Amino acid sequence: MSTLASAYTPSTTGHPVRQVLARRPELFTLMLLVALCAFVAAANPDFLRLATLFDLARASVVIGLFALGVFVILAAGGIDVSFTAIAALCMYGVTKGVVEFAPGLPLPVVFTLSIAIGLGLGLVNGFLVHHLRVPSLIVTIGTQYTFRGLLLTFIGTIWITTLPPQMDDFGKVALLTTTSSQGATIILPLFVLILPAVAVLTWWILRRTLLGRAIFAVGGSPAVAERLGYDLRSIHLFIFGYAGALAGLAGIIHACSNRQANPFDLVGSEIDVIAAVVLGGARITGGTGTVVGVVLGTLLVVVINNVLIMAGVPSTWQRVVVGAFILIAGAFMVNRRRA
Amino acid sequence: MDHIVEKTRSRADGAGVAPFLAVKDIHKRFGGVHALRGVSVTITPGQVYHLLGENGCGKSTLIKILSGVHRPDEGVIELAGREHRSLSAIEALEAGVETVYQDLSLLPNLSVAENVGLSQQLVRAHGRLATVLDRGLLADTARRALSAVNLPTSEDFLSTAVGDLPLAIRQLVAIARAIAVKARLVIMDEPTTSLTRREVDNLIDVVRSLQQDGVAVLFVTHKLDECYQIGGEAIIFRDGRCVAQGPMSSFSKEELSRLMTGRVVDGARYRQAKPAGATVLRATGLTSGERLREASFSLAAGEILGITGLLDSGRNELARVLAGVQRSTAGSIEIDGAAARIESPRDAQAHGVAYVPEDRLTEGLFLDKPIETNLVALVLDRLRGAFGGVDRKRARMLGARFVADLKIATPDLDRAVSALSGGNQQRVVIGRALSNQPRILVLHGPTVGVDVGSKDSIYRVVQSLAEDGMAVVIVSDDLPELLQNCDRILVLRAGRVVSDLPADTADEDAILKVMVATDDAVAHAGEAP
Ligand SMILES: Nc1ncnc2c1ncn2[C@@H]1O[C@H](COP(=O)(O)OP(=O)(O)OP(=O)(O)O)[C@@H](O)[C@H]1O
Ligand SMILES: [Mg+2]
Repeated sequence: MSTLASAYTPSTTGHPVRQVLARRPELFTLMLLVALCAFVAAANPDFLRLATLFDLARASVVIGLFALGVFVILAAGGIDVSFTAIAALCMYGVTKGVVEFAPGLPLPVVFTLSIAIGLGLGLVNGFLVHHLRVPSLIVTIGTQYTFRGLLLTFIGTIWITTLPPQMDDFGKVALLTTTSSQGATIILPLFVLILPAVAVLTWWILRRTLLGRAIFAVGGSPAVAERLGYDLRSIHLFIFGYAGALAGLAGIIHACSNRQANPFDLVGSEIDVIAAVVLGGARITGGTGTVVGVVLGTLLVVVINNVLIMAGVPSTWQRVVVGAFILIAGAFMVNRRRA
Repeated sequence: MDHIVEKTRSRADGAGVAPFLAVKDIHKRFGGVHALRGVSVTITPGQVYHLLGENGCGKSTLIKILSGVHRPDEGVIELAGREHRSLSAIEALEAGVETVYQDLSLLPNLSVAENVGLSQQLVRAHGRLATVLDRGLLADTARRALSAVNLPTSEDFLSTAVGDLPLAIRQLVAIARAIAVKARLVIMDEPTTSLTRREVDNLIDVVRSLQQDGVAVLFVTHKLDECYQIGGEAIIFRDGRCVAQGPMSSFSKEELSRLMTGRVVDGARYRQAKPAGATVLRATGLTSGERLREASFSLAAGEILGITGLLDSGRNELARVLAGVQRSTAGSIEIDGAAARIESPRDAQAHGVAYVPEDRLTEGLFLDKPIETNLVALVLDRLRGAFGGVDRKRARMLGARFVADLKIATPDLDRAVSALSGGNQQRVVIGRALSNQPRILVLHGPTVGVDVGSKDSIYRVVQSLAEDGMAVVIVSDDLPELLQNCDRILVLRAGRVVSDLPADTADEDAILKVMVATDDAVAHAGEAP
């Protein structure tokens, strides 16, 4: 017994703080987030006003839903860059359909429709990845162009500035209200609750179901997972379908939140989302990461993109900051592996 | 397809019991390679089988057919009374066929508990993934299986990612997974390659108790001593055919070697006494972490130095420190009388040190790349042609030479390394280390998983390298191997060099005694044979 008890100790050595961080990289994300918030708050105490926090929460929802979808795919060793195109198609297609054909369609049906279209497009991704055996990056670059092209060619290019009333109202339902420093009323919209709800669902699927562990198994080694009896086809269909459904949900929320539907919106923010996931401690090579990390990574990116400007950092510098953080986090992850 | 069975000896027991599994006239081809040529094997409950044969004779291929990885080209599989053309992984698992693969097939990013316990959940759900985990069961199953192979069962260990564990522990985790559920047939493809005697003894106990529960066990190994110790049936393969079958005890070692290789292999000492050359390497007080403490020794040109010890003796760490894979925390290395800083594999290469790692099946090979590319990977700069590109002809010549010297069984050099059998993959790693013309060669378990016949060819290569003045370090727990090949044998214990024996007069018992002696002699009493 003595031989093995001593021989098993994992090779991580060094300072206890390092050891904890090596096991829980999302703590590192939390540290970055706290440091950043402290910096902004010190530079401009307005940051701590409820109004700012409400804005941050509102801005986190869409990017957070995207990030959770990407994370599920990344956990299985894949990548997706088509989710913004899916979201744009769902958002614009559904909004336009409601405006033109069914102005009185109840809100839950609108949401379900958008999610279902997203799911369908995601399944197309999953099907192609599985059956063509082409890397998911290539497949989703292809489908990103295709979905976007279909949207602009067949559905429309005209900005919808007046939403159907049920959608418009949904964006305005308040969970809480406050007043900004200028005296305007700022609301915390009810829909911000969707992000924590989906985060909990994603966490539950990944940690508590066989499917979740199978996703990580595939991220560890697809060949071994297949050999051990995991059904790769179901896993591929699920992860891309799930990410697609979340993109559909995010798209329709985006429209309700902005009270308009712009077909040219959303596409282009993929890198922000992937950055959020990676900053949350998930390795781009797959098989690792946590939902908590993804949520923290999302908050980090949202804070950088929205409030750095309050600390007097010019908005052109935001990208530099995101880039620097990714490099710091990346260097840290590499060291973690060597530790 | 009638296959030649040289001899089929009367079976010890198991007659009259309905077989659990029978394969009939199985053929399997990979492109041009006819890996199995009409194999028939019957597995009876409660029996232990040893599948023996040279590297590349088709052992792993048969196992992968039984466990649902490969589908046979011809033949039938009768499993628990039902006939199949081929099995899926889930079918095999559901029928109770559990496998320890040669490459272990663990998921490096998942925890120990998950690696051990998830398969059970998958089988209970009949492969349906939309199932909530039974986490209590997962942990219980993992604990039970881990304690059966003498691994810790603490929360800490259960939640460690398998990729962070040393090879020997990973091997035990893979075994734990196979015995975690009530199996009907446990297959182990070279499960003991990196285990030391104590773990092997324990594994043998585990096999015995499985057998008592009516579980059949199919072993693949190149360590014949273990087969004799376990007993049971021997099934001997040569070139994809079954050439003999019978009780283990009815075959002598020489007979087995002859059946496997088709020729006579002797176990004589390879090393002829030689005057040692000038000292090329001197290590003083090498320390690394907790395991390696102040090890000192020297190595001369043309000398073959054996290093052995128990798993936790520091022998593995010493090999890794010499190769620059692991850093030393104290002590120094001198090469040719000058201090050498070896902090990375690159530094080691620059000082002329080549390293063949222990974990060759999962580290160090570009599995999807051709054999040739793997062999010449380290010396690309020396193969530059006139325009800076790699000189294909010279690369090919170099590759061909190693394939011939090391007897790597392959029809051509363009084949991906993943298409080689396990033992042949190992030779590719050895060949690559040699391609760099090192002055000091550190071999970590050089013949782990290599068959008797080819051990011979590897030993001959090593001997001739030493003849030519290379200094060689063999880190191994295969004592006969060290005794046959080395000039001196260092024994490590608790991180220190405790003994430096001349190999021509030492014997196994003496070395084993030194390995396990001292304060905890009582705790280690089980170690001596
Ligand atoms: N996936 C594959 N593709 C092509 N050829 C293969 C593949 N797997 C095995 N082979 C070939 O089939 C033959 C039998 O290989 P196998 O792995 O069964 O040998 P083995 O008896 O297990 O040897 P070892 O003792 O070295 O592990 C070898 O010639 C090998 O090169
Ligand atoms: Mg094999």
